[in-house]
Amino acid sequence: MVNPIYIFITSLGAAFLLNLFQKINRKIADLIFFLTLAVINYISLFWFYQLLQGYEAAKIYTAGFLPPYSINLYLGIEEAVFLVLINLLGFFSAVYLYKKFREISIKAMILYLVLIMGLNGLVMTRDLFNLFVFLEITSITTYALISLEDNKYSLTAGFKFIIAGGLVSTLFLIGTIYLYRLGGSLNLDFLVNSGVLNTKAGILATFLLVFALLIELKPFPANGWALDVYQSVHPGIAAIIASASSAAIFFVIYKFIPLMPSSFLPLLAGIGGVTFVFSNLMGLKQTDARRLLGYSSIAQMGLLLAALALIMQFDNLQSLSSIIVIIGGLFINHFLAKAGLFWLAGIVQKRNIRSWKIIANNPPLLLVFGGFILALIGLPPFPGFWAKWELVMQLSANNMMVWVWIILAGSLLEAVYLFRWFGYAVKNTEVEEIRTEAAQYLPVLIFLLGLLYLGMEGTHLVSGADSIYVLPVLLGVILYVLNWLPNKLKGSLCLLAVIYFSYRLLPALQDIYQLFGVVFLIGSAVLLITTFARKDIFKGFYPLLIIMILSLGNLLQAKTSLQFFLSWEFITITSYLLILRGKFSLKAALIYITFSLAGAYLILAGMGLAFRDTGVVSLAGLASIVNSGYIYVLLGLGFLIKIGIVGFHVWLPGAYTEAEDDFTPFLSAVLSKMGIFGLIMLAILLGEPVLKGIQLNYILGWLGVLTAFFGALLAAFQEDIKKLLAYSSLGQLGYIVLALAIHSHLGWVTSIYLTFTHLLFKGILFVAVAGLLSRVKTRKMYEMGGLINNMPLTFISVLIAIIALSGVPPLSGFGGKWLLYSSLLEKGWYLQAGLAFFASTIAFLYCYRILHSVFLGQPKTALRDVKEPSVWYIVPQYLFLFGIMAISMYPNLILKPVMSAVSTYFASSIYWEDYTVISSLGYWNGNAVMMVTMGVFMIPLLWLLFRIKAVTKVKQFNIVYAAERPDRPETTHYAHNFFAHYQKALGFLARPKVTEFWGNIAEVIHSVGALFRQLYTGNGQTYAIHILIFLLISYFILGVK
Amino acid sequence: MTVISILGFILIIIGLWGMLTQKNIIKMIIGFSIIDTGLHLVIVSIGFIKGRTAPIISKAVEGLDTGKNFIDPVPSALVLTAIVIGLAITALMLVYAVKLFRFKRSLQIEDFEELKW
Repeated sequence: MVNPIYIFITSLGAAFLLNLFQKINRKIADLIFFLTLAVINYISLFWFYQLLQGYEAAKIYTAGFLPPYSINLYLGIEEAVFLVLINLLGFFSAVYLYKKFREISIKAMILYLVLIMGLNGLVMTRDLFNLFVFLEITSITTYALISLEDNKYSLTAGFKFIIAGGLVSTLFLIGTIYLYRLGGSLNLDFLVNSGVLNTKAGILATFLLVFALLIELKPFPANGWALDVYQSVHPGIAAIIASASSAAIFFVIYKFIPLMPSSFLPLLAGIGGVTFVFSNLMGLKQTDARRLLGYSSIAQMGLLLAALALIMQFDNLQSLSSIIVIIGGLFINHFLAKAGLFWLAGIVQKRNIRSWKIIANNPPLLLVFGGFILALIGLPPFPGFWAKWELVMQLSANNMMVWVWIILAGSLLEAVYLFRWFGYAVKNTEVEEIRTEAAQYLPVLIFLLGLLYLGMEGTHLVSGADSIYVLPVLLGVILYVLNWLPNKLKGSLCLLAVIYFSYRLLPALQDIYQLFGVVFLIGSAVLLITTFARKDIFKGFYPLLIIMILSLGNLLQAKTSLQFFLSWEFITITSYLLILRGKFSLKAALIYITFSLAGAYLILAGMGLAFRDTGVVSLAGLASIVNSGYIYVLLGLGFLIKIGIVGFHVWLPGAYTEAEDDFTPFLSAVLSKMGIFGLIMLAILLGEPVLKGIQLNYILGWLGVLTAFFGALLAAFQEDIKKLLAYSSLGQLGYIVLALAIHSHLGWVTSIYLTFTHLLFKGILFVAVAGLLSRVKTRKMYEMGGLINNMPLTFISVLIAIIALSGVPPLSGFGGKWLLYSSLLEKGWYLQAGLAFFASTIAFLYCYRILHSVFLGQPKTALRDVKEPSVWYIVPQYLFLFGIMAISMYPNLILKPVMSAVSTYFASSIYWEDYTVISSLGYWNGNAVMMVTMGVFMIPLLWLLFRIKAVTKVKQFNIVYAAERPDRPETTHYAHNFFAHYQKALGFLARPKVTEFWGNIAEVIHSVGALFRQLYTGNGQTYAIHILIFLLISYFILGVK
Repeated sequence: MTVISILGFILIIIGLWGMLTQKNIIKMIIGFSIIDTGLHLVIVSIGFIKGRTAPIISKAVEGLDTGKNFIDPVPSALVLTAIVIGLAITALMLVYAVKLFRFKRSLQIEDFEELKW
């Protein structure tokens, strides 16, 4: 047993001796410095281990007296956790700072040792005055260490810090001395039992004490000084201030909770919540990387404070494990990630977040950066994810929904600025290299690994989690390590993994789930072939892709809402990172992740409500909820945002267009279906909920048909081929949602049938476009033309896909339309049917445009020698093509399994006679339709072939300009502004009103952030006034009289 | 509330006023010092009990029941620590003032507002 008092003895002793040894040899002094840090690490780790084994906590009495006559220290398991973390950070930050320490005198090392010792003391002491002493020790050493960076900025920041710190210690001392006067003791444990809180003066004294500590946690708006400090001090010191010092102060506040009257808790929670939201709001406008980290740090401590104060207020205090998950998760997550990010800021050496693009030259650093960013936002597989999940669940269970919204809103704001920053880092255009040294690099890496390890551990702690659902990450890591393999081999490994996963998963799934399994996994497997065409070295592509695809599968087998949400988040993150790989996708990817996360948070809130009503996290439990309207709206809206329903579709065209060409097929053909799956799952579990007398499915139906209409309309006016297909995809999803909303056997059959056919033809089209764009370096259709001779194979598959898409006989799309109109008429939704029909006619327009502008018409001179794309683009197209032909000839191949799957939930309303499907309104014989259409097609074809000699070949530009002078050559091609006449008639519907709307919202939020940060004038005196005003306002809110 | 503690609070408020209104950094530091002095008076006054003597065991108090004749020794002990700490902080503030002056040739607090927002 090592007495914990040796932590103080060794560090103080070493601090005194360092100066002496330095006189002999600086190297020896350095060695002693690190040895001391190692020793205190050993002591704290030793105690942590002992206490875990169930040993009794250490009570240390000084001067041979029992408290309250002496100062006493206490080291229990909670203290041990904080000590271990603080000392670990102390050690690694020292390693990180070593070079800086060498440059300046030994005094910096002495100060550093005393600072770490002070933090240890803050955690362990139970004596108020001793606490004050340790507080001052840490403050004074921090002030002195700030001046390590001997520049104007750190000095001004340090001075502002001293002023604030001086006020804090004054308040603390007044509180302490009056508590002593009233309670007769300085010992925390004695004061708690002294009845001092029964007096108003006692409450006032406690208030001063607690608020002095609170200021040290940098609450909004009394924190201007802290931001300056974060911005200007050496990153190694900033890491200590942001993580270790904040941790110690947080723990002190935690120690004080038994002393506080219960009326303090709501106020503490409020202050934490306000700090969390406002810091993140103001962070939106910040461009200095370190100041941004400061905002984020303050916000996170606010969240932690709020979480602590809220948990303490719960009526039924939840199980210990959920408290550990929430507080421990949030705390450790921030502790490791923030320290790591500050260190990283020191390595990168760039102030402006836009200049962080140099990090892209250094993939390991980029990986670390991305990991920390994900962790801070609270995304899996990091501890913060579990903590936020559990926090939302427990808040909901305790009917604190307002808090759920506050926390989710703040998290979203934080995600926006952190992802924006990350986006800048990924887009590399610089050749500048980052100089890294092992001493700086190592601590960062170790902290990230720590975060990952603890995140994985989270699966054992949180109820409803399962480690299977984080396995995809492991596979991704393995693939990342295998990066040196040739691309085709990596792709094949991926393909094998997906096929094996399908082989294991699909038989285990049931009815509709199994069908979606086929869409997700088999669809992805076919699309994977496209990626074999890649030639360049690209890190991270396959790892991200495999995580995404396997998580899609996991989504289907999720038994609890946590498993579902976890997989959902994995897909969101990986797809965001994959979109971000596109050359110009910076903005599009940010919009995508913002909407996706907003949707995910709605889902999370819905799941919280469900947990409140059922008390379990199992998905099947949803079915037992009686009043499920709100849950349906929240979850449904989350899924609809992912689909890109009209009103929330602004992310879709950008993301589809700017993603890499061979990733867009995944987005459209596979990923868009996860929202559809969510909606179907919701309908299976909740049926047709009603909210305040409104049939929600009716609204859903209208949303679907409007999406179909606007998607088609917007597609018709695009010049960019990917954008056209993106809007077309949106429109098609609208049909699927519409059919789903009908909520009948026929409706669902239609919906799933359309899901399948959409996978097939959109898969073809996007792969074909990817192939096309691999040869033609423009996405503008009017710059192409006449490619039918250059790429006949692509032309044929596009032609077939377009026939299938437009829904004309004889291909599968016709069946889809027939089923859709049948089910709509059966339901009696005539108006919707009419609008859907109108939308389909618009679809003809854009379908025709692709064929005409790209493949027909006059060839462009520049594109005369273009060849057929590589075979890897052709194979998946023809696999899908085969699928289309098969189900067009024999619709029962697909309709039979779909019908039987749906009949688990509805009585069947259609039946079969040989190849004919019969509904109450008519019948459809796919085989016969195919034969007849083929016949009708063959006759004119034969006639034209017979007359082929009458054709006259026309040279390019052999046309007459009718009184118009073309300003640019391409404008003579009427493929440019193809539907000008329709635009005149209907263009007003296609104006980007929704995009403007969301743009305005973003603008307003940013402006509000800009407005609030004007509070931070930079004047140290103003900051001191802020502290006083903050104190007074808090006092009045408390209403202590 | 004894007269001394009231005096102490008056000093604290005067010091606070100085710290928040004076634009000169040296004057702000003086304000801080006044706050500190006031604070020390308050602490000492808490332990004072009328008619009793200083808690120093010497020949003069031999034979007396120290528990009944001494004032409360704890605040006196505390104030010593507080004075030392206050001194350290004041010294550090002055060092900062000197260093700041070297950079800008100015001691006006408004001249150090580069970091903001």
